[in-house]
Amino acid sequence: MLAIDRHAWTNRWRRHHPGEHLLLAGGGLVLALTLPPLTAGPLLCLLMAGATVVGAAVPMRAFLGVMALPTGFMLTSAPFLALSLDLRDGLHLSCSPAGATLALEVTLRSLGALSCLAFLALTTPVAELVPWLRRLGVPAAVVEIALLIYRLIFIFAERALAGQQAQAARQGYSTRPRSLKSLGLLIATLFQRALERARRLEVGLAARGYVGELRVLTPERPLSRRRLAGIGGLLLAVALGSVLLDRGLA
Amino acid sequence: MHIMEGFLPPVHAAVWGLASLPFLVMGARSVARVTREHPRAKLLLASAGAFAFVLSALKIPSVTGSCSHPTGTGLGAILFGPAVMAVLGAIVLLFQALLLAHGGLTTLGANIFSMAIAGPWVAYGVFRLARTLGGPLALGVFLAAALGNLATYLVTSVQLALAFPDPVSGFLGAVTKFGSVFALTQIPLAIIEGLLTVLVVNLLIQFSRDDLDELAFAPGVVR
Repeated sequence: MLAIDRHAWTNRWRRHHPGEHLLLAGGGLVLALTLPPLTAGPLLCLLMAGATVVGAAVPMRAFLGVMALPTGFMLTSAPFLALSLDLRDGLHLSCSPAGATLALEVTLRSLGALSCLAFLALTTPVAELVPWLRRLGVPAAVVEIALLIYRLIFIFAERALAGQQAQAARQGYSTRPRSLKSLGLLIATLFQRALERARRLEVGLAARGYVGELRVLTPERPLSRRRLAGIGGLLLAVALGSVLLDRGLA
Repeated sequence: MHIMEGFLPPVHAAVWGLASLPFLVMGARSVARVTREHPRAKLLLASAGAFAFVLSALKIPSVTGSCSHPTGTGLGAILFGPAVMAVLGAIVLLFQALLLAHGGLTTLGANIFSMAIAGPWVAYGVFRLARTLGGPLALGVFLAAALGNLATYLVTSVQLALAFPDPVSGFLGAVTKFGSVFALTQIPLAIIEGLLTVLVVNLLIQFSRDDLDELAFAPGVVR
C-alpha cells in the first residue's frame, strides 16, 4: 500500500536537501499549469521520468505505477469535457472538436503535473517535507501533529489490514450485509485502538519529560548550488522548449 | 473523489485554496488552543488523523461492483467537530497526495474545500438539526454521514463544472454532466457510508463510552 514511501527512503537522491526536490517539483507544477499543455505536458513527463528513474534510480515500474493511479478519475472526467450537453429541448449529447481539444489539453496538463508529484513523492520522504510547512506559516502545533500522523499511519495501516484479513478468513466478507457489519466492527475497533495508542504514547512521553513539544533530530543536508543551478536550467529548458514547439505546431 | 493533480486551471486551483484558507486558519487556531490547554490532545488528534488516513485505505463493498472507500468525513465531524476536522482533513489530504498519489498538490485547495470543509460542516449541521428536532441518534448519524458524503461529491461536481462549463449549456449543463456521472455511483455509496457510520457510532457508544468522554475538548456532539 505504501510502496511510494519505501522508494522515498531508499532512492539514490534521498540524502539531497529536500529543497532541491521541492524546487524541481514545484517549478514543474507551475510550468505545467501555465505553459501550453500540448507541449509542456509531455516534456515535463519526460523530464520527471528521467529525474526519477535515471537520476534517483527509482524503478521505472514504480514511476509508471504512480502515473497510472488516477486513471479512474481521468476516465470518468475527461470524456465529459469532450461531450457537451444541450438542455434547451430535451437532452442532447454532442461531441465538438473544441471539446475534444479541451479534453486533450486537460489530460496532458494533468499528466505533466502528475509526473511532478510522482517525482516528489518517490524521491522525498514525507518526514522531510512536513517541516517545510512551518515556512508557509502553519503553526508549530499543527506541523507536529502532521509529523505524528505520518509516523502513526504505518502502525494503524498494518493493524487495519491484519484485521481485515482475519475477518475475511472467518467469512466476514462473504455476503454484503455481513461485510458491512464486519467493516463497522473493524472501524470501531481501530478507533478504540487509536485512542489507546494515544494514551500509551502520552504515558511513555510523560515518563521522558514531555511538556508539549516533541523534538527530533533532522540530519543536516547542505543545499548544493550546482544542483540548484542544474534544476533551474532544466526548468528553463522545458519552458523554452514547450513555447518554441508550441509555436512550431501552430 | 479526489480531483487529480493538474486537472484544475491555475486560477481555479488558487481560488479554491484561498476559499479554504479561513477555515484552515480557524481550525489551526482551535488546534493550537486545545493543544496548549491539554498537551495530550496533540497525541489524540494525531491518532485521529492517522485513523482517518487508514479509513480511506479500507475498501467498502459497492453496489456497482467497483470498490470504493469510506470518506469518514461524517464520523470525523460528529466525533471531533468540523473546525478540527478541517485541519486533520487537510493533513490527511496532503499525505494522500504525497503517499498514495490520490489528489494532488495543485488541487489540494479544491479537495480540502470539498472533503475537509463542505462535507464535515454539512454532516455536523445535519446532525445538530436532526438532534434538535428530536430525531433518534441513529437517524441523525445516518443522515449526517450520508448527506456529508453527498455534499462532498456535489461540491466536487460544482468545482469541475465551474472550471469546465459546457460550451453549449454553460455551467448548468456541466453540473448536470459531472453530477449525473457521480450520482450513479455516489448515492448508493452515501447510503452505505451512512449505515456504516451508524454501526460504528453504536459500537463506540456501547463499548467505548470512556474514550468518547476523553474527546471532551473537541466540540463533538455524540455525548
